[in-house]
Amino acid sequence: MSMIHLTINGKPVDAACEPRTHLADFLRETNNLTGTHLGCEHGVCGACTILVDGVPTRSCITFAAACEGASVTTVEGLDDDDITSELRTAFSREHGLQCGYCTPGMLVSARDVVLRMDAPSEHDIRVAMSGNLCRCTGYVGIVRAIQGVIADRRARGIAAVAGGGRTRLGPAGSGNASTAKEAAGASKAAAVAAVKPAGQPRTAARKDDNWKPQTTFEQSFTVAHPTDVVWDFFGRVDEVAACLPGASLNGAPEGGPGGDEHVEGQIKVKVGPISAEFHGAADITRDEATRTGVIDGTGKDKRSNSATRGQIRYAVKEAETPGETRVDVAIGFTLSGVLAQFSRSGLVQDVANRLIGVFVQNLEARLAHQAGGGDADSAPVAAEFNAGSLMSSVIVGQVKQFFARLFRRG
Amino acid sequence: MKPVNFDYARPKDVAGVLPLIADDSRTVKIMAGGQSLGPMLNMRLVQPDLVVDITGIEELRQVVETPDAIVMGGCITHADIEDRRVPDMTRGALPAVAGGIAYRAVRNRGTIGGSITHADPSADWISILSALGATVTLRGPGGSRSVAVEDYMLGALEADLRPGEMLVSVSVPKLSVSARWGYYKSCRKTGEFAHAIGAFLVDPERGVSRAVFGATESRPIVIADARQLLGEGTATEPGRDFDSRLAGELVEAGGMSDPIDRQTHVVALRRAIQQAGSA
Repeated sequence: MSMIHLTINGKPVDAACEPRTHLADFLRETNNLTGTHLGCEHGVCGACTILVDGVPTRSCITFAAACEGASVTTVEGLDDDDITSELRTAFSREHGLQCGYCTPGMLVSARDVVLRMDAPSEHDIRVAMSGNLCRCTGYVGIVRAIQGVIADRRARGIAAVAGGGRTRLGPAGSGNASTAKEAAGASKAAAVAAVKPAGQPRTAARKDDNWKPQTTFEQSFTVAHPTDVVWDFFGRVDEVAACLPGASLNGAPEGGPGGDEHVEGQIKVKVGPISAEFHGAADITRDEATRTGVIDGTGKDKRSNSATRGQIRYAVKEAETPGETRVDVAIGFTLSGVLAQFSRSGLVQDVANRLIGVFVQNLEARLAHQAGGGDADSAPVAAEFNAGSLMSSVIVGQVKQFFARLFRRG
Repeated sequence: MKPVNFDYARPKDVAGVLPLIADDSRTVKIMAGGQSLGPMLNMRLVQPDLVVDITGIEELRQVVETPDAIVMGGCITHADIEDRRVPDMTRGALPAVAGGIAYRAVRNRGTIGGSITHADPSADWISILSALGATVTLRGPGGSRSVAVEDYMLGALEADLRPGEMLVSVSVPKLSVSARWGYYKSCRKTGEFAHAIGAFLVDPERGVSRAVFGATESRPIVIADARQLLGEGTATEPGRDFDSRLAGELVEAGGMSDPIDRQTHVVALRRAIQQAGSA
């Protein structure tokens, strides 16, 4: 906890506040100003929009501590504001609200539109208001109310103010404060419960023939080793896992080599600031005749409360160049929970592509090491997948292919 | 929807930030406007031990004009650019693109440096700045270095930051009077993440013709010499000589396998080039 100082609706306020407290919670919980509404709490719905240093700001994704010294105006502080008074009358006249949940945010954003935009078309207004969601009345009345107030004010000779009158550079609310020495959040739980994977009961990867993945994609790579060697290598689950950055197994696989196998383990993935550790199980079946395999897996990340279920199909065959092996991989997966809420399938695919790139590097290194007579355990591999520190061999390969094709085009 | 209980620091200068982010013993995250990080913190996708707020640093909120570039501190906001509080030397390109980022309330806090470092492939700055040939300057324990914007982004959500390094400024070259630009993004809903972006710059006086396919699933695909896409460039009708087939091959070579995706990106670039022609 540390003390923060703000000017709220014209009054100076000093109060204790955790660094993680966003402005909306600080206003509602600490200052009883419940006119600021929280809808989505991740910056999408616009219900929490307030004025910070005179310009609209999402208070749910703006931390109070980051606004130290700023001037904050909530809907309660707009009682005597000219534009807002006119907007209230117009919203009432045009039926611009029903349940009222979005209204405080609507008024703040509408005030900004009236203040800044000189003669916006209906389309301009709709675009400018598109960050504020209404789920009951609809936008017709709201847009009409704004159009009415703008027409009226311009008729009275009141011009728009470019930029809403802001002259300072940088994020709204910043630049008012002096330095803050590092301030700690409230006392943290020191002990983190130890996870004991070994003691957990065996879980099946639940076969379900009706399951369809949300996202599927295919990837191929070529390894400079004979097909027999690569096929055998894919049969040794522990070694395959060792090539997959961030993956580790809990104990030896169950079931015989070559037959159906069951493994449990985890994989750590770090993408930008996000890190996840999926614990789960996988069932592996291999078909010697066609040299294809299927891995069915499920996993859970406790930290983000997310779950994934996926299927990887692979086929090992001889490549165009004799002595080399082509591996075709088809990946299908479904992600649920918080990570899915954030994730866009494309990002997952980029990460998966880069992960496969590193997997191939590790696989090559291991096969070369073993071909040279080294034992399996001493082969060098990347410890954890960190997308930032690795260049994708996949992309390099694609660029090469492109130049090859250009050349042929002559 | 509440973040984990992180610690917080607001240093007064870059020199005060570097020792904090060099600390390997805990998870440290730099925050500028927090408009992308905020939601991720609220959803606990990101659980840092320490958040370093860099918006109190005067140097990062400044703009410096050099003979051939505008150098913006990393904490300049989208609205600063949209409202032209930052002088525009790009013939309206940066203000126009800034005005189309998310929503006004987000633009009032979201920063150019934060957006580039967050490295979301669908974000606007990565694409337009790559087309304009902008560079970023990074500062770390080993001193400063500059990197082209398109090289700064390594992949989805990954920027080329060495341990202990941070972005301090973005340098955008001044365009000639005869320069023309175009920018088109495909969104189903205003303010949402783009599905495809096309960005184009032709600046004959400086001998520059660049095209960018943005909002790929990874880094933008930059065509450093876009004349190959424009035929001989003799067509009287802008965009008429656009080589869609070559454009399609370039995006495919960039790793885009889905034909619909490829087509959307080719169309986005064609529209950007048409826009440049009609400007």
